Parts: sequence; structure tokens; C-alpha cells
Amino acid sequence: MPKMLGPDALLGWAKKERQEREKFESTVQICADTGCRASGSGVVVKALRNEVERQGLQDKVNIRETGCHGFCEQGPLMVIEPGNIFYGKVTPEDVPEIVSETLLNNRVVERLCYVDSISGERIIKESDVPFYKAQDRTILGQNKVVDPFDISAYVANGGYSALARVLTSMEPEEVISEIQESGLRGRGGGGYPTGRKWEQCRAADGYEKYVICNADEGDPGAYMDRSVLEGNPHVVLEGMMIGAFAIGAQQGYIYVRNEYPLAVKHSKKAISDARDAGLLGEDILGSGFSFDVKVMRGAGAFVCGESTALMASVEGKVGEPRPKDVHTVEKGLYGRPTTLNNVETWANVPGIINKGAEWFAAKGTARSKGTKIFALTGMVKNTGLVEVPMGTPLRTIVFDIGGGSANGSAIKAVQTGGPSGGCLPTEKFDLPVDFEALSEAGSMVGSGGMVVMDESTCMVDVARYFLAFLMDESCGKCAPCRIGLDRMLEIVTDITEGRGTAEKLALLEDVAETVQVASLCALGKTAPNPVLSTLRYFRAEYDAHIRERRCPAGVCRALITYSIDTEACTGCGACLRACPHEAVSGAKKEPHVIDQELCQKCGICRDECKFDAVVVQ
Amino acid sequence: MVKYISLTIDGAKISVPEGTTVLDAALEYGICIPNLCHVRELEPIGVCRVCLVEVVENGRSRVTASCALRAKEGMVVLAHSEKVLKARRVVAEMLVAEAPNSRAVQDLAVKCGVTEVRFPFRNNDCVLCGRCVRVCSEVWRAQALGFVGRGKDRHVALPFNTRPEFCKRCWSCIAVCPMTITPCAGPMKVGEEYLCAQCESQLSMSQNIEDSCTWCRLGEGFQCARWADVATSARP
Repeated sequence: MPKMLGPDALLGWAKKERQEREKFESTVQICADTGCRASGSGVVVKALRNEVERQGLQDKVNIRETGCHGFCEQGPLMVIEPGNIFYGKVTPEDVPEIVSETLLNNRVVERLCYVDSISGERIIKESDVPFYKAQDRTILGQNKVVDPFDISAYVANGGYSALARVLTSMEPEEVISEIQESGLRGRGGGGYPTGRKWEQCRAADGYEKYVICNADEGDPGAYMDRSVLEGNPHVVLEGMMIGAFAIGAQQGYIYVRNEYPLAVKHSKKAISDARDAGLLGEDILGSGFSFDVKVMRGAGAFVCGESTALMASVEGKVGEPRPKDVHTVEKGLYGRPTTLNNVETWANVPGIINKGAEWFAAKGTARSKGTKIFALTGMVKNTGLVEVPMGTPLRTIVFDIGGGSANGSAIKAVQTGGPSGGCLPTEKFDLPVDFEALSEAGSMVGSGGMVVMDESTCMVDVARYFLAFLMDESCGKCAPCRIGLDRMLEIVTDITEGRGTAEKLALLEDVAETVQVASLCALGKTAPNPVLSTLRYFRAEYDAHIRERRCPAGVCRALITYSIDTEACTGCGACLRACPHEAVSGAKKEPHVIDQELCQKCGICRDECKFDAVVVQ
Repeated sequence: MVKYISLTIDGAKISVPEGTTVLDAALEYGICIPNLCHVRELEPIGVCRVCLVEVVENGRSRVTASCALRAKEGMVVLAHSEKVLKARRVVAEMLVAEAPNSRAVQDLAVKCGVTEVRFPFRNNDCVLCGRCVRVCSEVWRAQALGFVGRGKDRHVALPFNTRPEFCKRCWSCIAVCPMTITPCAGPMKVGEEYLCAQCESQLSMSQNIEDSCTWCRLGEGFQCARWADVATSARP
């Protein structure tokens, strides 16, 4: 790779790479990111390469192993251009047919197409799939067209042109005001205006400044930062370079957890490629601006996603937050002015510079602009990564994009914002996803996790689960978080196990409110959200647990009993054979009975019964 | 030349040298803010969260620990708003349940308005205020004590649980520890979770005294001599 000495050289390189790509007749984009890899895309890629070689099509077909496409539920995913043909759940056995039919004869292999669950129609084009149709994939959409391991693919698609523009024709102040005008706000959860952060950091005293990319994503079920960093590391890098230029930093860090091996690998490769191309290091593109980036690997503590804890961790200290009365933009990493932004925030920057602040500000609500990526998981049909303009109602995300309930039972709530977000009931589904609207409703946009829950979920149990997670992840430094979460968990566990009292519930509320206001860092301040939001919207469930000693969803083991409906039971013996505790008895063709003394409430009998005769109360 | 900064705490306009924390400023001017982990000579750590205050900025208020908060020009601080008092009370209640026999923590809890502890006691005999760890590393540069473990498992320990060579036997750790005042053997037993405020603790009469006492310098230590004087003279 030649070193790019100036912006013109970069343009020339991009042109050359584009021409090279135009030589191919068709392009196969296969998702090779973590989700699809787990469903076997690695073997599919191998089979495809072999088959293409066997048929001698190497010069006509461009096989691109890309980052996450988003529709992980249908993985391994394949999109064939031209034609935008979408194949899901591809296996190596399908590959010869795809090559001989689609690639050679432009015919669609119908059985691999996506079937719409509502209309039952086969959908050929990716853009027509309902999951993608309602989205605005500004950031995630780029994953498909670039190769995470190949800088030239990014450059061919206009990569680093924003950097070239900034370095040649913009002053740092102009960059900052452009970002400010765009209304971009921190995507890591806080929603702090990015432009204002940059401005404060630029104004702060200090000859050495730092930029940090926070890729320490630790929410259960959330993987949007991971997918962006794995699928398109250069866009993050370019964003960081622009930010560094704007605030006057010479050193950047990407803090990524070691549990994301692919993200570590891809970002390291991206950095060394960019350095080879003269896009990182001394005198970038002949502009006199010097900047370099290092990858720091985190050991996986959830609290290290908090900015001050993250900086302590980079410095090699114990990852614990410190009071933020002096902001990190003034005294951050090594006590120097530091700008820390989330992966998604950095990824938004090149687009704003290239397309302008107005383009970005046109999307979204009055105070939340642009698009946001959400990781849609839980009891919905279409799980995966969803990118929508800010202000999209939750209903659209859950029902139009997510396709509604996975197994037909009614959807009850959605938890937004990761483990410390709140649970919102269906009455609140018309709320737009917007920083202010969600926090007023007792939840938050957070990093973008979205867990959908249906009628089979007990909200008290959900609160207990998230409390247990957060208590495990609390660093223990400040008293309200360390003691408060433990005490809250104690009370909620008592409630789920049938020992709850009304007084304890009042105490739970007291403690939750105190932890919220008194904690040192954002982890503690937001940790009571699951409890407070479930208390706010699902109080009846708490009351049922406490007053009636009953779990309405049939989840809390201490409060439920399994019995057999004598009318529905055919006496087939399936439950009798399956019960590991030998609690079911009964003669053949006669209704069976569950011995309550022996029953361990594991639920295996209910899963085995084909006649819905096992009743949970 | 020392630059002075003026701020408002509970409506009182006060001015302090630049760099003073809000807690020190308040105590200096006799506005009593209960505190535990704060030691004037040490870097603030802000972990006990007893010294919470409400800061009003641009029409928005936030609650934060006053020990780590540097006074800023024009700052408006509410040290006794309802929100702050409630949070302080619940925090103190949680702390006293961790170390029910510590008289210093009991006193603190009483001071924060705790009369009954609603949690089962744990008798950990440590509230992790970190005074010992900080005095050891900051004043003596010995670093013979440190925090070990995270979350619930966090505790103070010696390296490999043996007293290291570099411990200077200054015993400062003991001097600053809130647990080392003769513990109360009174009614703080499991099942009897209430604060009697009847023992020899010098804050025992605090309930009879107005919250903001102008001659109190609580925070200089756990035991306040002046409180005792006031308490004695107030006795019928």
C-alpha cells in the first residue's frame, strides 16, 4: 500500500479501487460477523469460494465477507448484487445452487428467500424485507459495502474523504460548530451534546489531549458497538481523527473489551493499515497534523464503560469511577483534557462532515437528532440490530420491524437501555425513542439494548435478574450502590420467594430512590431503574406476590404449583416419563396427578405435554 | 495571592479561598453537613455519600457529595433540602446496618435523623470509608493497606494478608477508623434494630439540638467536644 502524501493521492487511490471493483459482474456480500459466524457463515464462505473457483468465476464474482447486516435471526445472511437478492439461513449445501442459478443465470433460488410471516409472500429484495424496510441504516448500512479487513474497500466507498476535507479546508472551530449544529448527542447513553464536549475539551488548558473511543459494551443482549467496530472499524477511526483534529489531540485510544476478539483484531488491523497508508502517524496527508491510535483491551468489567473508570483502567489502575465534579474534558486520562465518545458517536462524525449538519439534523426529534442503533432481542420474531431515526415510536420497532411476538403470546413490556434501563408497558409504546421522552417515562435510551418481554415474563423476576446483574458488576466503591443494591436484591428476592411484606416494599422504594440520587457514578444512579419502572407500571404484580402470594406469570417457583387438568389429560404418560423427580403418577389412559411434595417446579412436564393439560397457578 | 470565591450555602453568602471544597466551606462557616469518609488532610474520595448536597445550576439541581465538590463562583448549594435530608437518612441507615456497633456510625445515623433501622444487621464492622487506606498511602506513602475485591466482596486488606515490611507502624489507620471508638454494646443486636441515642456517645443529645448549629465543627472528628457542652447545658 503506498503512503498517501496528500488529499489528491487519496482521491486517486479511491478512484483506482472503484474501477477495480467495477470489473466484477456481481458481488456476494456474506455476513461474517459474530452472529452469522455462530450460525455457520464461515463454512458457507469457504464453500462459496471453492464453488466459484471450481466453476472458474473468480474474475466475475466478488465475494465480500462483511460485518453485521443486522438481521441476525435469519443468519447466515447473503445479499447478491446486482439485484439486491436476499438469502437467509444459507447452508454450504445451498451454495452450488446459488452459484449456478443466481450468479450464472440471474435466477432467484426461491426456497432461500425470506418469507413474510404476515402475508406469507416470498420476498426477493433485501430492501423489501419488512425488517429492513422501516429502518434508516445510515451507519449499519455501510457494513455491507465495506470489507472490515480491507482499507481499500473503505476508501473505494469514499472513506477518509471527510478527514481529507477537514484537514485541507476546515479550521478546528469550524469542525466543532458543524458537529454542534448537527445536534449529535452521545450514543453511549448519556446523550451529552458531542459538539459541546469537543468545544469544552478544546478550550481546556493542556498541551497534551486525548481522544478515547468507548467500545466497552457490556449490556446483556446488546452488541451494536461491537458490530460497528467489527464491521466498519475505519469509520470509527476516521471519526476519531476528525475529533482529535478538532480538539487538538495527538493520541487516541480504542478501549475495547477482550471478550470481543474480532473487534480487537479488526481495530488493530485497521490502525496498522491506516498507518501504512499515511492516514495515521506523523504529518497526515501532508497537513502537518499528527495523530495515532492505540487499542487498549478491557478485562470485561461492566463498570469500565463509565468514563472515569475506563480512564483509570487505561492508566493501569483499578477500574473504579471517581467523582466527576471536575469533568473529564478538563482532567481525564492522566489528568489531561480528554474527549471520550462512544463507538456509534464517532461513526456518525464522518457522515456529518461529508453530508453536512443539516442532513443529520433533518432526522430525529427536536432535541435528539440522527439515527440510533438498537439491539432488538427477547420475545420478538425478528431479532437483530435495528437502526432507526430518533423519535421512531417503540411500537414501530417492536411490531413493524421486530414482527411482534415470537410465539403468539401477547407482548407485555419492552426494556430499553440495557440492564439499568426501565421496563415500559405497552401503553407507552407510542413513546418516541428520544433521550428526554424515555427518561421522563422512567427508562432511558442508554446504549441501545431493547429486550421485549411477553406474558410469560414476571416483572418482579425481571427486576430481580437485573438487580443481581448490577450488584455483581458494581465496583463497590460508594456506599449507596454497594449496600443499596444488595439490600434491594434482598427485598426483591424475598418478594419472589413469598416472604414479601408491604413495609418492605415501601423500604424498597426508599432505597431505590436514594441509590438513584446518592450514588457516585452513572451505574449506581441508573441501577434502580428496573425496580422503579416495574413498580411504576407493574405494581399489581408486586401486590399479587406480596398479598396473594401468587406469581401471575407463573415464573417465581416458590409461588406456583403445577397441576394436571384432569379433563384435558389423556393419560399418554409423556409427563410421567419426562419428570426427573418422579413426581407424576397415574395409570395409562387415566388422568395423571402431580405429587406436590416431590414436584421441583422445573416445568419439564408442561413442555412435554401435547394437550396443554399441565396448569401452572 | 489567594483568590476568594463566593458561594451560597443554604442561603448564606460565604466566601472561601479557591480550591476549597463545599463541605469544608460549610463546616468553616458552621453549616453542619454530616460526613464520614472525609478527612481534611486527605484527597476527597466521595464514597460514603453522607455529605450529600443539592447544587442548583442553570435552573437544574443535582445531588452530589460535597466533600469532592470544589466551590465555584456563584454556586448555589442546598445542604438541607428535603431531597438531600431523605437521601442522607437512608444512606446513614444502610451504613449503620453494616456496622451497628460502631458508635461513630451510630452517632452519624442519629445526626441524619435515623431512629429505626429497617434492615437486618450485618455486623461487618467496616463501612469501607477508606480512611485507613488513604491515610496510609497519602500521608505516609506506605501503601500497606488497600482495597481488595469488587462489589459486595470489597474489603480492606494487607498485601497477602500479612503486615508488610513497609508498614511503618504509625497506626494512623487505627486513629482515623470510625470503628475504633469503644464500640457500643448496647441494644444494637439483631432483632433490636433501633438507635437509642442514650449511651455515652457525645452526640446522644443531638435530637434536642437544632440542625444547623453555628458552633458545631462536626467533621473535624467523630467526637465533637462542643456538642457535649451544649448537650450537658441543655439537660434539664
